[in-house]
Amino acid sequence: MVEFKGTREAFAAALYELASVNDKVVGVFPDALKAMRAVSFGETYPDRYIECGIAEQCAVDVAAGLASTGLLPFVGTYCGFLTMRAGEQMRTFVGYTDLNVKFIGVNAGVLGGEREGVTHQFYEDLAFITSLPNFTVLTPADPEQMYEAVKYAAEICGPVYIRGGSGREIEIYEKDAPFSRDGITVWKEYGTDAVLFSSGYVLDRVLAAAELLKEQGVNVTVADINILYGKNPSRILELMVKTDQIITIEDHNINGGLGSYISRLAVENRPVKVKRIALTDYAESGPAKELADAYGFSPEGIADTVKKALASQ
Amino acid sequence: MNTQELQKMAKKLRYEAVRMVYEGKDGHPGPALSCADIVTTLYFDIMNVDPNNPEYPDRDRFILSKGHACPVWYAALNKRGYFNPKVEHFQLRQLSSMFQGHPSMHSTKGIDMTSGSLGNGIAIGAGMATAAKIQKRNYYTYVICGDGELQEGVCWEGVNMANGRKLDNLIVFVDRNGWQSYKTVEFTVGQNNIADRFRAFGWHTQEIDGHDYDAIKCAVAIAKSAKGRPSAIICDCVKGKGLSYMENNNAWHKGVPNDEQWEIAKRELGGED
Repeated sequence: MVEFKGTREAFAAALYELASVNDKVVGVFPDALKAMRAVSFGETYPDRYIECGIAEQCAVDVAAGLASTGLLPFVGTYCGFLTMRAGEQMRTFVGYTDLNVKFIGVNAGVLGGEREGVTHQFYEDLAFITSLPNFTVLTPADPEQMYEAVKYAAEICGPVYIRGGSGREIEIYEKDAPFSRDGITVWKEYGTDAVLFSSGYVLDRVLAAAELLKEQGVNVTVADINILYGKNPSRILELMVKTDQIITIEDHNINGGLGSYISRLAVENRPVKVKRIALTDYAESGPAKELADAYGFSPEGIADTVKKALASQ
Repeated sequence: MNTQELQKMAKKLRYEAVRMVYEGKDGHPGPALSCADIVTTLYFDIMNVDPNNPEYPDRDRFILSKGHACPVWYAALNKRGYFNPKVEHFQLRQLSSMFQGHPSMHSTKGIDMTSGSLGNGIAIGAGMATAAKIQKRNYYTYVICGDGELQEGVCWEGVNMANGRKLDNLIVFVDRNGWQSYKTVEFTVGQNNIADRFRAFGWHTQEIDGHDYDAIKCAVAIAKSAKGRPSAIICDCVKGKGLSYMENNNAWHKGVPNDEQWEIAKRELGGED
Protein backbone atom coordinates (compact mmCIF):
# COMPACT_ATOMS: atom_id res chain seq x y z
CA MET A 1 0.00 0.00 0.00
CA VAL A 2 1.31 3.42 -0.92
CA GLU A 3 1.82 5.73 2.03
CA PHE A 4 1.69 9.48 1.78
CA LYS A 5 0.57 12.48 3.77
CA GLY A 6 -0.76 15.62 2.12
CA THR A 7 -1.24 16.46 -1.54
CA ARG A 8 2.42 16.97 -2.32
CA GLU A 9 3.48 13.55 -1.10
CA ALA A 10 0.44 12.15 -2.88
CA PHE A 11 1.64 13.71 -6.14
CA ALA A 12 5.15 12.36 -5.62
CA ALA A 13 3.89 8.87 -4.85
CA ALA A 14 1.74 8.78 -7.96
CA LEU A 15 4.55 10.16 -10.14
CA TYR A 16 6.94 7.54 -8.78
CA GLU A 17 4.49 4.76 -9.55
CA LEU A 18 3.73 6.06 -13.02
CA ALA A 19 7.45 6.33 -13.77
CA SER A 20 8.01 2.75 -12.64
CA VAL A 21 5.62 1.37 -15.25
CA ASN A 22 6.00 3.91 -18.05
CA ASP A 23 9.46 4.96 -19.19
CA LYS A 24 8.01 7.92 -21.05
CA VAL A 25 7.11 9.60 -17.75
CA VAL A 26 9.51 12.43 -16.87
CA GLY A 27 9.43 15.02 -14.11
CA VAL A 28 10.24 18.67 -14.84
CA PHE A 29 10.98 20.89 -11.86
CA PRO A 30 12.00 24.55 -11.54
CA ASP A 31 14.01 23.93 -8.36
CA ALA A 32 10.90 22.41 -6.82
CA LEU A 33 11.86 18.76 -6.36
CA LYS A 34 11.99 19.14 -2.59
CA ALA A 35 8.87 21.30 -2.42
CA MET A 36 7.02 18.67 -4.45
CA ARG A 37 8.31 15.93 -2.12
CA ALA A 38 9.71 14.15 -5.17
CA VAL A 39 13.33 13.67 -4.11
CA SER A 40 12.99 9.88 -4.26
CA PHE A 41 11.75 10.19 -7.85
CA GLY A 42 14.82 12.26 -8.72
CA GLU A 43 17.16 9.81 -7.04
CA THR A 44 15.56 6.74 -8.58
CA TYR A 45 15.19 8.17 -12.08
CA PRO A 46 18.01 10.71 -12.46
CA ASP A 47 17.78 10.70 -16.26
CA ARG A 48 14.07 11.43 -16.11
CA TYR A 49 14.35 14.14 -13.49
CA ILE A 50 14.70 17.36 -15.47
CA GLU A 51 15.94 20.24 -13.35
CA CYS A 52 15.38 23.67 -14.90
CA GLY A 53 16.50 25.87 -12.03
CA ILE A 54 14.42 28.69 -10.63
CA ALA A 55 12.93 29.38 -14.03
CA GLU A 56 9.29 28.45 -14.49
CA GLN A 57 8.96 29.72 -18.04
CA CYS A 58 11.90 27.56 -19.00
CA ALA A 59 10.36 24.56 -17.24
CA VAL A 60 7.14 24.87 -19.21
CA ASP A 61 9.04 25.34 -22.48
CA VAL A 62 11.26 22.36 -21.73
CA ALA A 63 8.19 20.27 -20.98
CA ALA A 64 6.68 21.29 -24.31
CA GLY A 65 9.86 20.23 -26.07
CA LEU A 66 9.88 16.90 -24.24
CA ALA A 67 6.21 16.25 -24.99
CA SER A 68 6.69 17.07 -28.68
CA THR A 69 8.89 13.96 -28.92
CA GLY A 70 6.33 11.69 -27.29
CA LEU A 71 7.50 11.82 -23.68
CA LEU A 72 5.01 12.41 -20.86
CA PRO A 73 6.22 15.31 -18.71
CA PHE A 74 4.83 16.26 -15.31
CA VAL A 75 5.72 19.78 -14.23
CA GLY A 76 5.43 20.56 -10.55
CA THR A 77 5.84 23.77 -8.61
CA TYR A 78 3.83 26.58 -6.98
CA CYS A 79 0.69 27.18 -8.99
CA GLY A 80 1.02 30.94 -9.28
CA PHE A 81 4.51 30.70 -10.68
CA LEU A 82 3.15 28.32 -13.29
CA THR A 83 -0.11 29.97 -14.25
CA MET A 84 1.00 33.57 -13.95
CA ARG A 85 4.75 33.76 -14.44
CA ALA A 86 4.74 31.02 -17.07
CA GLY A 87 1.13 31.50 -18.12
CA GLU A 88 1.95 32.48 -21.65
CA GLN A 89 4.13 29.41 -22.10
CA MET A 90 1.30 27.23 -20.77
CA ARG A 91 -1.10 28.84 -23.20
CA THR A 92 0.97 29.05 -26.37
CA PHE A 93 3.29 26.07 -26.15
CA VAL A 94 1.08 23.56 -24.33
CA GLY A 95 -2.53 24.69 -24.72
CA TYR A 96 -2.43 25.91 -28.31
CA THR A 97 -0.15 23.05 -29.32
CA ASP A 98 -2.32 20.59 -27.36
CA LEU A 99 0.77 18.82 -26.07
CA ASN A 100 0.61 16.08 -23.50
CA VAL A 101 1.99 17.96 -20.50
CA LYS A 102 0.67 17.61 -16.95
CA PHE A 103 0.97 20.45 -14.45
CA ILE A 104 0.68 20.15 -10.70
CA GLY A 105 0.39 23.57 -9.11
CA VAL A 106 0.71 23.63 -5.33
CA ASN A 107 0.13 26.36 -2.73
CA ALA A 108 -3.32 26.98 -4.14
CA GLY A 109 -5.49 29.26 -2.04
CA VAL A 110 -4.94 30.78 1.39
CA LEU A 111 -4.74 27.27 2.81
CA GLY A 112 -2.08 26.37 0.26
CA GLY A 113 0.15 29.27 1.16
CA GLU A 114 -1.02 29.87 4.72
CA ARG A 115 1.96 31.17 6.74
CA GLU A 116 3.96 32.13 3.64
CA GLY A 117 1.71 35.07 2.89
CA VAL A 118 0.37 36.58 -0.30
CA THR A 119 3.48 36.07 -2.44
CA HIS A 120 3.10 32.32 -2.00
CA GLN A 121 -0.68 32.02 -1.83
CA PHE A 122 -2.41 31.83 -5.18
CA TYR A 123 -6.11 32.38 -5.71
CA GLU A 124 -6.08 33.34 -9.38
CA ASP A 125 -4.78 30.18 -11.06
CA LEU A 126 -8.14 28.73 -12.01
CA ALA A 127 -9.37 31.98 -13.55
CA PHE A 128 -6.54 31.81 -16.05
CA ILE A 129 -6.25 28.11 -16.66
CA THR A 130 -9.96 27.51 -17.18
CA SER A 131 -9.86 30.01 -20.04
CA LEU A 132 -7.40 27.88 -22.02
CA PRO A 133 -8.89 25.52 -24.60
CA ASN A 134 -7.56 21.93 -24.54
CA PHE A 135 -6.74 22.00 -20.81
CA THR A 136 -8.46 19.62 -18.40
CA VAL A 137 -8.63 21.18 -14.92
CA LEU A 138 -8.72 18.88 -11.92
CA THR A 139 -9.34 20.12 -8.38
CA PRO A 140 -8.86 17.26 -5.91
CA ALA A 141 -10.20 17.76 -2.39
CA ASP A 142 -7.71 15.74 -0.38
CA PRO A 143 -4.45 13.77 -0.64
CA GLU A 144 -6.13 10.57 -1.79
CA GLN A 145 -7.87 12.44 -4.55
CA MET A 146 -4.63 14.14 -5.57
CA TYR A 147 -3.04 10.71 -5.93
CA GLU A 148 -5.95 9.55 -8.07
CA ALA A 149 -5.97 12.80 -10.06
CA VAL A 150 -2.32 12.37 -11.03
CA LYS A 151 -3.02 8.81 -12.19
CA TYR A 152 -6.07 10.02 -14.11
CA ALA A 153 -4.06 12.84 -15.70
CA ALA A 154 -1.72 10.27 -17.22
CA GLU A 155 -4.70 8.65 -18.96
CA ILE A 156 -5.84 11.91 -20.51
CA CYS A 157 -4.35 12.78 -23.88
CA GLY A 158 -3.55 16.49 -23.72
CA PRO A 159 -2.76 19.20 -21.21
CA VAL A 160 -3.93 18.78 -17.62
CA TYR A 161 -3.72 21.15 -14.67
CA ILE A 162 -4.10 19.75 -11.15
CA ARG A 163 -4.54 22.06 -8.19
CA GLY A 164 -2.49 21.11 -5.11
CA GLY A 165 -2.11 22.54 -1.66
CA SER A 166 0.34 23.03 1.16
CA GLY A 167 0.90 19.36 1.87
CA ARG A 168 -1.06 19.49 5.11
CA GLU A 169 -4.51 18.70 3.77
CA ILE A 170 -7.05 16.70 5.76
CA GLU A 171 -7.96 13.22 4.49
CA ILE A 172 -11.63 12.91 3.60
CA TYR A 173 -12.00 10.35 0.84
CA GLU A 174 -11.56 6.61 1.37
CA LYS A 175 -8.27 5.22 0.17
CA ASP A 176 -8.51 4.15 -3.49
CA ALA A 177 -11.78 6.04 -3.97
CA PRO A 178 -11.74 6.78 -7.70
CA PHE A 179 -11.40 10.32 -9.02
CA SER A 180 -14.91 10.96 -10.32
CA ARG A 181 -14.95 11.16 -14.10
CA ASP A 182 -18.32 12.90 -13.84
CA GLY A 183 -16.72 15.85 -12.06
CA ILE A 184 -18.88 15.45 -8.98
CA THR A 185 -19.12 13.34 -5.81
CA VAL A 186 -22.15 13.78 -3.57
CA TRP A 187 -21.18 13.66 0.11
CA LYS A 188 -24.28 14.59 2.07
CA GLU A 189 -27.92 14.42 1.12
CA TYR A 190 -29.72 15.86 4.13
CA GLY A 191 -32.12 17.77 1.92
CA THR A 192 -32.39 20.30 -0.86
CA ASP A 193 -32.96 23.54 1.05
CA ALA A 194 -29.68 24.40 -0.59
CA VAL A 195 -27.05 22.56 -2.59
CA LEU A 196 -23.48 23.30 -1.51
CA PHE A 197 -20.86 22.80 -4.21
CA SER A 198 -17.34 22.64 -2.82
CA SER A 199 -14.09 22.60 -4.74
CA GLY A 200 -10.66 21.77 -3.38
CA TYR A 201 -9.36 21.66 0.16
CA VAL A 202 -12.27 23.33 1.90
CA LEU A 203 -14.48 20.25 1.62
CA ASP A 204 -14.02 19.30 5.29
CA ARG A 205 -15.25 22.75 6.26
CA VAL A 206 -18.26 22.52 3.99
CA LEU A 207 -19.15 19.12 5.41
CA ALA A 208 -18.89 20.53 8.92
CA ALA A 209 -21.14 23.44 7.88
CA ALA A 210 -23.75 20.95 6.61
CA GLU A 211 -23.80 19.29 10.02
CA LEU A 212 -24.25 22.65 11.76
CA LEU A 213 -27.07 23.56 9.39
CA LYS A 214 -28.77 20.22 9.97
CA GLU A 215 -28.72 20.85 13.71
CA GLN A 216 -30.44 24.15 12.99
CA GLY A 217 -33.11 22.60 10.78
CA VAL A 218 -31.61 23.53 7.42
CA ASN A 219 -31.09 20.44 5.33
CA VAL A 220 -28.60 20.70 2.50
CA THR A 221 -26.82 18.57 -0.05
CA VAL A 222 -23.03 18.73 -0.29
CA ALA A 223 -21.14 17.78 -3.42
CA ASP A 224 -17.45 17.94 -4.25
CA ILE A 225 -16.74 19.28 -7.73
CA ASN A 226 -13.41 17.86 -8.86
CA ILE A 227 -13.33 18.82 -12.56
CA LEU A 228 -13.96 22.39 -13.67
CA TYR A 229 -15.58 22.94 -17.04
CA GLY A 230 -15.64 19.19 -17.68
CA LYS A 231 -16.92 17.90 -20.98
CA ASN A 232 -20.04 16.35 -19.50
CA PRO A 233 -21.57 18.18 -16.51
CA SER A 234 -24.84 16.21 -16.64
CA ARG A 235 -24.58 14.90 -13.07
CA ILE A 236 -23.98 18.41 -11.76
CA LEU A 237 -27.02 19.62 -13.67
CA GLU A 238 -29.13 16.77 -12.25
CA LEU A 239 -28.38 18.05 -8.78
CA MET A 240 -28.91 21.69 -9.67
CA VAL A 241 -32.56 21.15 -10.65
CA LYS A 242 -33.37 19.85 -7.17
CA THR A 243 -32.91 23.13 -5.34
CA ASP A 244 -33.70 26.84 -5.46
CA GLN A 245 -30.45 27.90 -3.79
CA ILE A 246 -26.93 26.97 -4.71
CA ILE A 247 -23.88 27.89 -2.68
CA THR A 248 -20.36 27.52 -4.05
CA ILE A 249 -17.35 27.37 -1.75
CA GLU A 250 -13.77 27.57 -3.00
CA ASP A 251 -10.39 28.76 -1.79
CA HIS A 252 -9.91 30.95 -4.87
CA ASN A 253 -10.82 34.42 -5.97
CA ILE A 254 -14.55 34.86 -6.42
CA ASN A 255 -14.05 35.31 -10.15
CA GLY A 256 -12.95 32.59 -12.50
CA GLY A 257 -13.15 29.41 -10.44
CA LEU A 258 -15.91 27.12 -9.20
CA GLY A 259 -18.40 29.95 -8.63
CA SER A 260 -18.02 31.15 -12.18
CA TYR A 261 -18.37 27.62 -13.53
CA ILE A 262 -21.51 26.81 -11.56
CA SER A 263 -23.02 30.21 -12.32
CA ARG A 264 -22.51 29.55 -16.01
CA LEU A 265 -24.15 26.15 -15.76
CA ALA A 266 -27.08 27.71 -13.92
CA VAL A 267 -27.52 30.58 -16.36
CA GLU A 268 -27.30 28.37 -19.40
CA ASN A 269 -29.32 25.43 -18.12
CA ARG A 270 -31.45 26.12 -15.10
CA PRO A 271 -31.67 29.65 -13.69
CA VAL A 272 -31.28 29.35 -9.92
CA LYS A 273 -29.83 31.64 -7.30
CA VAL A 274 -26.11 31.11 -6.76
CA LYS A 275 -24.25 32.52 -3.75
CA ARG A 276 -20.50 32.34 -4.09
CA ILE A 277 -18.25 31.97 -1.06
CA ALA A 278 -14.72 32.76 -2.18
CA LEU A 279 -11.94 35.28 -1.76
CA THR A 280 -12.44 38.90 -2.70
CA ASP A 281 -9.09 40.31 -1.65
CA TYR A 282 -5.45 39.38 -1.08
CA ALA A 283 -5.05 37.54 2.21
CA GLU A 284 -2.11 37.41 4.65
CA SER A 285 0.10 35.06 6.65
CA GLY A 286 -1.31 32.95 9.41
CA PRO A 287 -1.88 29.48 10.83
CA ALA A 288 -4.06 27.48 8.45
CA LYS A 289 -7.17 27.12 10.57
CA GLU A 290 -7.29 30.69 11.80
CA LEU A 291 -6.47 32.03 8.37
CA ALA A 292 -9.18 30.04 6.59
CA ASP A 293 -11.67 30.99 9.30
CA ALA A 294 -10.78 34.66 8.98
CA TYR A 295 -11.27 34.66 5.21
CA GLY A 296 -14.76 33.18 5.23
CA PHE A 297 -14.21 29.45 5.31
CA SER A 298 -15.13 28.61 8.92
CA PRO A 299 -17.96 26.06 9.14
CA GLU A 300 -19.91 28.62 11.15
CA GLY A 301 -19.28 31.33 8.56
CA ILE A 302 -20.31 29.06 5.69
CA ALA A 303 -23.46 27.99 7.55
CA ASP A 304 -24.29 31.60 8.30
CA THR A 305 -23.92 32.57 4.64
CA VAL A 306 -26.21 29.72 3.61
CA LYS A 307 -28.89 30.82 6.06
CA LYS A 308 -28.65 34.44 4.94
CA ALA A 309 -28.96 33.39 1.31
CA LEU A 310 -32.05 31.35 2.09
CA ALA A 311 -33.55 34.18 4.14
CA SER A 312 -33.13 36.62 1.27
CA GLN A 313 -35.00 34.48 -1.22
CA MET B 1 24.61 20.87 -51.86
CA ASN B 2 27.69 22.75 -52.93
CA THR B 3 28.08 26.46 -52.42
CA GLN B 4 26.72 27.47 -55.81
CA GLU B 5 23.68 25.24 -55.39
CA LEU B 6 22.97 26.64 -51.93
CA GLN B 7 23.36 30.16 -53.24
CA LYS B 8 20.86 29.46 -56.01
CA MET B 9 18.42 27.82 -53.60
CA ALA B 10 18.67 30.67 -51.10
CA LYS B 11 17.84 33.13 -53.86
CA LYS B 12 14.74 31.12 -54.73
CA LEU B 13 13.66 31.01 -51.10
CA ARG B 14 14.15 34.76 -50.80
CA TYR B 15 12.04 35.28 -53.88
CA GLU B 16 9.29 33.03 -52.52
CA ALA B 17 9.39 34.71 -49.10
CA VAL B 18 8.98 38.18 -50.57
CA ARG B 19 6.32 36.95 -52.98
CA MET B 20 4.22 35.44 -50.22
CA VAL B 21 4.37 38.69 -48.23
CA TYR B 22 3.49 40.67 -51.37
CA GLU B 23 0.56 38.39 -52.19
CA GLY B 24 -0.62 38.04 -48.59
CA LYS B 25 -0.28 41.77 -48.01
CA ASP B 26 1.26 41.25 -44.57
CA GLY B 27 4.38 39.83 -42.95
CA HIS B 28 8.01 40.39 -42.00
CA PRO B 29 10.22 40.26 -45.10
CA GLY B 30 13.36 41.82 -43.60
CA PRO B 31 13.78 39.23 -40.81
CA ALA B 32 13.08 36.41 -43.28
CA LEU B 33 15.78 37.52 -45.70
CA SER B 34 18.21 37.96 -42.80
CA CYS B 35 18.22 34.27 -41.86
CA ALA B 36 17.56 32.88 -45.36
CA ASP B 37 21.06 31.50 -45.81
CA ILE B 38 21.04 29.71 -42.45
CA VAL B 39 17.63 28.17 -43.21
CA THR B 40 18.78 27.15 -46.68
CA THR B 41 21.96 25.51 -45.44
CA LEU B 42 20.10 23.66 -42.69
CA TYR B 43 17.35 22.30 -44.93
CA PHE B 44 19.38 21.59 -48.04
CA ASP B 45 22.65 20.42 -46.58
CA ILE B 46 22.84 19.87 -42.84
CA MET B 47 19.64 18.53 -41.36
CA ASN B 48 18.62 14.91 -41.38
CA VAL B 49 14.94 15.16 -42.31
CA ASP B 50 12.60 13.24 -44.58
CA PRO B 51 9.78 15.25 -46.16
CA ASN B 52 8.00 11.99 -47.00
CA ASN B 53 8.07 10.92 -43.39
CA PRO B 54 8.14 14.24 -41.53
CA GLU B 55 7.37 12.74 -38.12
CA TYR B 56 9.99 10.05 -37.98
CA PRO B 57 11.45 10.01 -34.48
CA ASP B 58 15.13 10.26 -35.34
CA ARG B 59 14.81 13.34 -37.53
CA ASP B 60 16.70 16.46 -36.63
CA ARG B 61 14.50 19.09 -35.01
CA PHE B 62 14.26 22.72 -36.01
CA ILE B 63 12.72 25.66 -34.17
CA LEU B 64 12.45 29.10 -35.71
CA SER B 65 12.43 30.97 -32.44
CA LYS B 66 12.17 34.27 -34.31
CA GLY B 67 8.95 32.94 -35.75
CA HIS B 68 8.05 36.13 -37.61
CA ALA B 69 10.72 35.17 -40.15
CA CYS B 70 8.55 32.21 -41.17
CA PRO B 71 8.03 33.15 -44.85
CA VAL B 72 11.50 31.88 -45.67
CA TRP B 73 10.87 28.71 -43.66
CA TYR B 74 7.61 28.05 -45.46
CA ALA B 75 9.45 28.54 -48.74
CA ALA B 76 12.15 26.08 -47.65
CA LEU B 77 9.63 23.43 -46.62
CA ASN B 78 7.91 23.85 -49.97
CA LYS B 79 11.08 23.50 -52.00
CA ARG B 80 12.24 20.61 -49.83
CA GLY B 81 9.09 18.69 -50.75
CA TYR B 82 6.98 18.75 -47.60
CA PHE B 83 3.86 19.76 -49.48
CA ASN B 84 2.37 17.63 -52.21
CA PRO B 85 1.56 19.13 -54.60
CA LYS B 86 3.97 22.00 -54.16
CA VAL B 87 2.35 25.22 -53.04
CA GLU B 88 1.95 27.83 -55.78
CA HIS B 89 0.39 30.61 -53.72
CA PHE B 90 0.91 30.49 -50.01
CA GLN B 91 -1.98 32.66 -48.91
CA LEU B 92 0.16 33.75 -45.98
CA ARG B 93 -1.88 35.04 -43.04
CA GLN B 94 -5.17 34.45 -44.84
CA LEU B 95 -8.20 32.80 -43.27
CA SER B 96 -8.03 28.97 -43.42
CA SER B 97 -4.49 29.06 -44.80
CA MET B 98 -2.03 26.42 -43.60
CA PHE B 99 0.54 29.21 -43.42
CA GLN B 100 -0.19 31.07 -40.22
CA GLY B 101 1.25 34.48 -39.42
CA HIS B 102 3.64 32.72 -37.09
CA PRO B 103 4.61 29.04 -37.32
CA SER B 104 2.03 26.58 -36.01
CA MET B 105 2.93 22.91 -35.66
CA HIS B 106 -0.59 21.68 -36.27
CA SER B 107 -1.17 23.87 -39.31
CA THR B 108 1.90 23.16 -41.39
CA LYS B 109 3.59 19.86 -42.15
CA GLY B 110 7.26 19.81 -41.21
CA ILE B 111 6.99 22.24 -38.32
CA ASP B 112 8.24 20.60 -35.14
CA MET B 113 7.18 23.38 -32.81
CA THR B 114 4.92 26.39 -32.78
CA SER B 115 6.81 29.65 -32.38
CA GLY B 116 6.52 33.38 -32.70
CA SER B 117 6.23 34.41 -29.09
CA LEU B 118 9.82 35.57 -28.80
CA GLY B 119 12.30 34.06 -26.41
CA ASN B 120 11.10 30.50 -26.07
CA GLY B 121 12.99 28.59 -28.75
CA ILE B 122 16.13 27.86 -26.75
CA ALA B 123 14.27 26.38 -23.78
CA ILE B 124 11.93 24.35 -25.98
CA GLY B 125 14.93 23.20 -27.98
CA ALA B 126 16.59 22.22 -24.72
CA GLY B 127 13.54 20.08 -24.01
CA MET B 128 13.83 18.36 -27.38
CA ALA B 129 17.56 17.86 -26.90
CA THR B 130 16.96 16.45 -23.42
CA ALA B 131 14.40 14.06 -24.89
CA ALA B 132 17.04 12.80 -27.35
CA LYS B 133 19.41 12.08 -24.47
CA ILE B 134 16.71 10.29 -22.46
CA GLN B 135 15.58 8.21 -25.43
CA LYS B 136 19.14 7.65 -26.64
CA ARG B 137 18.42 9.13 -30.04
CA ASN B 138 21.11 10.76 -32.13
CA TYR B 139 19.20 13.66 -33.59
CA TYR B 140 20.29 17.27 -33.24
CA THR B 141 18.04 20.17 -32.35
CA TYR B 142 18.66 23.42 -34.23
CA VAL B 143 17.24 26.76 -33.16
CA ILE B 144 17.41 30.14 -34.89
CA CYS B 145 17.03 33.17 -32.59
CA GLY B 146 17.24 36.84 -33.29
CA ASP B 147 19.71 39.06 -31.46
CA GLY B 148 16.93 41.39 -30.29
CA GLU B 149 14.98 38.36 -29.12
CA LEU B 150 17.75 37.59 -26.65
CA GLN B 151 16.44 40.45 -24.51
CA GLU B 152 13.71 38.06 -23.37
CA GLY B 153 14.70 36.63 -19.99
CA VAL B 154 13.46 33.15 -20.76
CA CYS B 155 16.20 32.82 -23.39
CA TRP B 156 18.77 32.85 -20.62
CA GLU B 157 16.75 30.46 -18.50
CA GLY B 158 17.04 28.03 -21.39
CA VAL B 159 20.71 28.83 -21.87
CA ASN B 160 21.34 28.02 -18.20
CA MET B 161 19.36 24.82 -18.30
CA ALA B 162 21.03 23.56 -21.49
CA ASN B 163 24.45 24.17 -19.98
CA GLY B 164 23.45 22.42 -16.77
CA ARG B 165 22.42 19.32 -18.68
CA LYS B 166 25.42 19.47 -21.03
CA LEU B 167 23.20 19.41 -24.10
CA ASP B 168 25.82 19.02 -26.82
CA ASN B 169 23.05 18.00 -29.21
CA LEU B 170 21.58 21.51 -29.15
CA ILE B 171 22.87 24.06 -31.67
CA VAL B 172 21.55 27.60 -31.52
CA PHE B 173 22.09 30.08 -34.34
CA VAL B 174 21.78 33.73 -33.45
CA ASP B 175 20.81 35.86 -36.44
CA ARG B 176 22.76 38.95 -35.39
CA ASN B 177 21.53 41.61 -37.77
CA GLY B 178 21.66 44.30 -35.10
CA TRP B 179 18.06 45.40 -35.48
CA GLN B 180 14.83 44.92 -33.65
CA SER B 181 11.32 46.22 -34.17
CA TYR B 182 11.95 49.85 -33.36
CA LYS B 183 15.68 50.55 -33.47
CA THR B 184 19.03 48.83 -33.12
CA VAL B 185 19.92 46.33 -30.43
CA GLU B 186 22.72 48.62 -29.31
CA PHE B 187 20.32 51.53 -28.93
CA THR B 188 18.00 49.35 -26.90
CA VAL B 189 20.36 47.60 -24.49
CA GLY B 190 23.64 49.42 -24.95
CA GLN B 191 25.55 46.55 -26.49
CA ASN B 192 25.22 43.49 -28.69
CA ASN B 193 27.90 41.31 -27.12
CA ILE B 194 26.04 38.08 -27.72
CA ALA B 195 29.11 35.89 -28.09
CA ASP B 196 30.59 37.04 -24.78
CA ARG B 197 27.33 36.28 -23.05
CA PHE B 198 27.02 32.76 -24.42
CA ARG B 199 30.64 32.06 -23.49
CA ALA B 200 30.00 33.35 -19.98
CA PHE B 201 27.10 30.93 -19.70
CA GLY B 202 29.38 28.01 -20.57
CA TRP B 203 28.37 27.47 -24.17
CA HIS B 204 30.71 26.54 -27.00
CA THR B 205 30.52 29.72 -29.04
CA GLN B 206 31.53 30.62 -32.58
CA GLU B 207 31.12 33.79 -34.63
CA ILE B 208 30.68 33.57 -38.39
CA ASP B 209 29.32 35.37 -41.42
CA GLY B 210 25.68 34.29 -41.52
CA HIS B 211 25.55 34.53 -45.30
CA ASP B 212 28.57 32.28 -45.93
CA TYR B 213 27.33 28.74 -46.61
CA ASP B 214 30.73 27.12 -46.10
CA ALA B 215 31.16 28.95 -42.81
CA ILE B 216 27.74 27.76 -41.64
CA LYS B 217 28.54 24.15 -42.58
CA CYS B 218 31.94 24.33 -40.96
CA ALA B 219 30.58 25.88 -37.77
CA VAL B 220 27.98 23.12 -37.41
CA ALA B 221 30.67 20.47 -37.86
CA ILE B 222 32.78 22.12 -35.17
CA ALA B 223 29.73 22.47 -32.89
CA LYS B 224 29.05 18.75 -33.23
CA SER B 225 32.61 17.96 -32.20
CA ALA B 226 32.33 20.09 -29.04
CA LYS B 227 31.28 17.44 -26.56
CA GLY B 228 29.60 18.16 -23.26
CA ARG B 229 28.43 21.68 -24.10
CA PRO B 230 25.61 23.22 -26.09
CA SER B 231 26.70 25.34 -29.02
CA ALA B 232 25.93 28.87 -30.09
CA ILE B 233 26.78 30.03 -33.59
CA ILE B 234 26.56 33.79 -33.71
CA CYS B 235 25.88 34.77 -37.29
CA ASP B 236 26.51 38.25 -38.56
CA CYS B 237 23.61 38.88 -40.88
CA VAL B 238 22.16 41.75 -42.86
CA LYS B 239 18.50 42.37 -42.28
CA GLY B 240 16.73 42.27 -45.64
CA LYS B 241 19.75 40.61 -47.27
CA GLY B 242 19.53 40.09 -51.02
CA LEU B 243 17.05 42.79 -51.92
CA SER B 244 18.62 46.22 -52.37
CA TYR B 245 15.93 48.38 -50.89
CA MET B 246 15.40 46.11 -47.91
CA GLU B 247 19.05 45.59 -46.94
CA ASN B 248 19.81 47.10 -43.55
CA ASN B 249 16.63 49.15 -43.78
CA ASN B 250 14.60 48.47 -40.68
CA ALA B 251 11.47 49.88 -42.29
CA TRP B 252 11.19 46.36 -43.72
CA HIS B 253 11.03 44.67 -40.35
CA LYS B 254 7.39 44.43 -41.22
CA GLY B 255 6.06 45.68 -44.50
CA VAL B 256 4.58 44.85 -47.86
CA PRO B 257 6.23 45.74 -51.17
CA ASN B 258 4.10 47.84 -53.47
CA ASP B 259 3.75 46.84 -57.13
CA GLU B 260 6.81 48.79 -58.15
CA GLN B 261 8.91 47.34 -55.33
CA TRP B 262 7.70 43.88 -56.23
CA GLU B 263 8.93 44.37 -59.79
CA ILE B 264 12.34 45.27 -58.40
CA ALA B 265 12.26 42.19 -56.17
CA LYS B 266 11.51 39.97 -59.15
CA ARG B 267 14.45 41.41 -61.05
CA GLU B 268 16.90 41.20 -58.15
CA LEU B 269 15.84 37.81 -56.83
CA GLY B 270 15.50 36.24 -60.23
CA GLY B 271 11.94 35.06 -60.16
CA GLU B 272 11.38 31.33 -60.35
CA ASP B 273 14.55 30.57 -62.30
